[in-house]
Amino acid sequence: MMSAFGTLAPLSWRNVWRNPRRTVITLIVVSVGLWSVLFFNALLIGWVQSSKDAALKLLTQDGQIHAVGYMDDPSVETFMKPPSGALLEALNDGVIEDWSMRVSAPGVVQSEYKTLPITFMGVDPEAESRISTIPGDMEQGRYLQSVEDDGIILGKHLVERLKTDLGRRVIVMSQSVDGTLSEWSYDVVGIYDSDQGIEDFYIFTGLKTSQEFLGLEDEIAQVVVTLPDEADLVSSIQTLKDAAPELDVRSWKELNLFLAMTDDFMGVYIFVWLGIVFSMMAIGIVNTQLMAVFERTQEFGLLRALGMKPGRVLLMVSIESALLIGVGVLLGIVLAIFSIWSLQGGIDLTAYARAMEMVQAGSIIYVDYHPDGIVRYSFIIWILGILVALWPARRASKCSPQEAMRRDT
Amino acid sequence: MDPIVTCRGVTKTFGSGELAVNALSHVDLDIAPGDFATLAGPSGSGKTTLLNMVGALDHPSAGSVTVDGQSLGNLKQAQLSDLRLRKIGFVFQSYNLVPVMSACENIEFVLELQGIGKADRRAKSLEALRDVGLEGLEHRRPAAMSGGQQQRVAVARALVSRPAIVLADEPTANLDSTSAGELIDLMLKLNDEHGTTFLIGTHDPRVLDRSKRQINMLDGEIESDARH
Repeated sequence: MMSAFGTLAPLSWRNVWRNPRRTVITLIVVSVGLWSVLFFNALLIGWVQSSKDAALKLLTQDGQIHAVGYMDDPSVETFMKPPSGALLEALNDGVIEDWSMRVSAPGVVQSEYKTLPITFMGVDPEAESRISTIPGDMEQGRYLQSVEDDGIILGKHLVERLKTDLGRRVIVMSQSVDGTLSEWSYDVVGIYDSDQGIEDFYIFTGLKTSQEFLGLEDEIAQVVVTLPDEADLVSSIQTLKDAAPELDVRSWKELNLFLAMTDDFMGVYIFVWLGIVFSMMAIGIVNTQLMAVFERTQEFGLLRALGMKPGRVLLMVSIESALLIGVGVLLGIVLAIFSIWSLQGGIDLTAYARAMEMVQAGSIIYVDYHPDGIVRYSFIIWILGILVALWPARRASKCSPQEAMRRDT
Repeated sequence: MDPIVTCRGVTKTFGSGELAVNALSHVDLDIAPGDFATLAGPSGSGKTTLLNMVGALDHPSAGSVTVDGQSLGNLKQAQLSDLRLRKIGFVFQSYNLVPVMSACENIEFVLELQGIGKADRRAKSLEALRDVGLEGLEHRRPAAMSGGQQQRVAVARALVSRPAIVLADEPTANLDSTSAGELIDLMLKLNDEHGTTFLIGTHDPRVLDRSKRQINMLDGEIESDARH
C-alpha cells in the first residue's frame, strides 16, 4: 500500500496540473469555501467574546451569589449577610479570580425636571475597578473613591434624560429596611459612558453609604465573582454552591440567557455554515473531478488494459483529489490567517453602536481564532472533500479496459 | 509446440432479442509462438472484438479462450488484470501513453505494477528504449515526441516484461508512411530476433504486405488464414 502510494503520489501530483484551468477553479472553490468557514468562525468567536465583554464585564461578571428569593424579589427584604466561613474561604482560595460585594435596590432618581426609575447600587470602588469596566468608562468627573464615598455616579443617557449635570444634586428614593421611604440628596460626582441600558438604569454610590441609606447594618444584595479561566465555570460555580448551600449561586449563563444561548449555539452556527459551504464545495469538487474522469476515460481504460487493478485506479484518483483539495485547504488557511491578521485592530461598528447594544455586543468586534479550530475545520473540509471525490474516483476505477481500444479516428 | 493463444468456438453477441448482433461467430484460432499474424478485414468484421477476447479485455458470449495455457473463462477481474499485466503486451491505435509520464516512466510503469524494484525497472526500461531505437529520449514526455516515436515507446512498453504475445490494434493508423514503415520494421525485427509473438488487427496494406500470417475476417467469422 505504501509502495503504491509512493509510486502513485508523484503521478497524481502531475495529473493535478494537467488541466490548470480546472485545477485553479477547484482551488478557488475549496480555498474560498474554507476561508469563509474559518473567517466566520473567527468572527463568531470575536462576536461572542465582544458580547461577553460588553455584558459580563459591566455588572454581571462570571457569577453571582444572592440570598434565596432575591432574584424573584430584588428588595432589601431578600438581602444576605457578607460572605463568611466556608464561602469566604472558597472566595479566597484561588478558584475565584476576584470578587466584590454590592448593594442593589430598586428606587427612583429625581432632578429638578424629572423623576425616573433606577437601580441603586452601592459598590466597593477598589474591587469594582478590578472586575468591572464601568470605573474605566467615566466620561466626566471621577469614579467613587471609597466605600464611604457619598457622591453619586450617573449614566450619560440618564443625565440627559434628567436634564442634570456634573456637580448638580439629585434625590434618590428607595424603600429602606424598616419599610419606610428613604430619601437622600447626592452630588453628581461622575458621569459614565457605557451601554445605554446600563446608563439608564444603574446609579452608583459607596457601599457603606448605600447601606446607611437603606438602613442596613452590613447586609448586601449580592457577591459578584470573576474566574481566572472561563473553562472552569461549571466547577468553580459548583465549588461556591458547595460552600454556601443556603445561598443562590448562579453562573452568568443562568443570569444572561440570551448571551448563554449565543455562546452555546456558536458551535452549531459554525457547523451549519460549514454544512452550507461544504454542500456548495462538494458540488464544485464532484463536478470538476467528474469532468476530469470523463476526459480521461480512455486513459483509465489504458491503465486497466495494461494490468492496473481497479483498486489502484481508485487510489490514484483519490490521491489526486487529496492533493488538489489539500492545496486548496492550505490556500484557504493562508487566506483566512491573512484576513484575520489584517483585522487585528477589530471591525469598527461604532456607527451602529446602539444596534450592537441591542444584541449585547460591543461596538468593535475583534476577530479571534483558535489554532485548534483552524486545524479542526480544515481537516474536516479536507476529509469530506476526499470522501465526495470518491464518487468520481470510483467512476474512474470502473472504466472498462476496452476503452483503450476505442478509436479516436 | 503448444499455441500461445487458442480460441475455440468463440462467439460474441452484443444486445439481445431482435437487436442482437453477432460480432464473432464460432471463431476457432490458434496463434503459435513466434507468429507475426495480422487480423485483416473491413470495419465491423470483428477484428477488434477478437483482439478484446484474446487480450482478456472482454468475455466471449460462448466458446473459450486460452492464453499461454491459461483459460480465461473463469477468471475474475483482478485475475484478468494480472494476466494482462504479465502475459500480454498492448499497442493501441491512439492514446498509447500516459501524457504526464516521460517515455522511460511509461515503460517503467508496467514493471512497477509487476512489483519490480526501481533500479531493475529503470535498467530494463532503458534497454527497451534502446531496442526500439529511442535511446536518449527517455526523459521526453509524449507531447514532445512524434507519433512514430510514441508508438515505438508503446512497443517498448508492450515488450519490456517479455509477454507471451503482443496485441496491436491498428498500430499504424495514425502514422505517416515513413513512421509506419519504421514501426513495421521494428516489430518484424523484434519478432525475428526475440521470437516475440504478434497479433495485429489492421486493414493497413503496409502491414498486411509484410505480415507472415494473414487472417482475414468477415462478418465475425474467419474467412481465410494464410501463411506467407
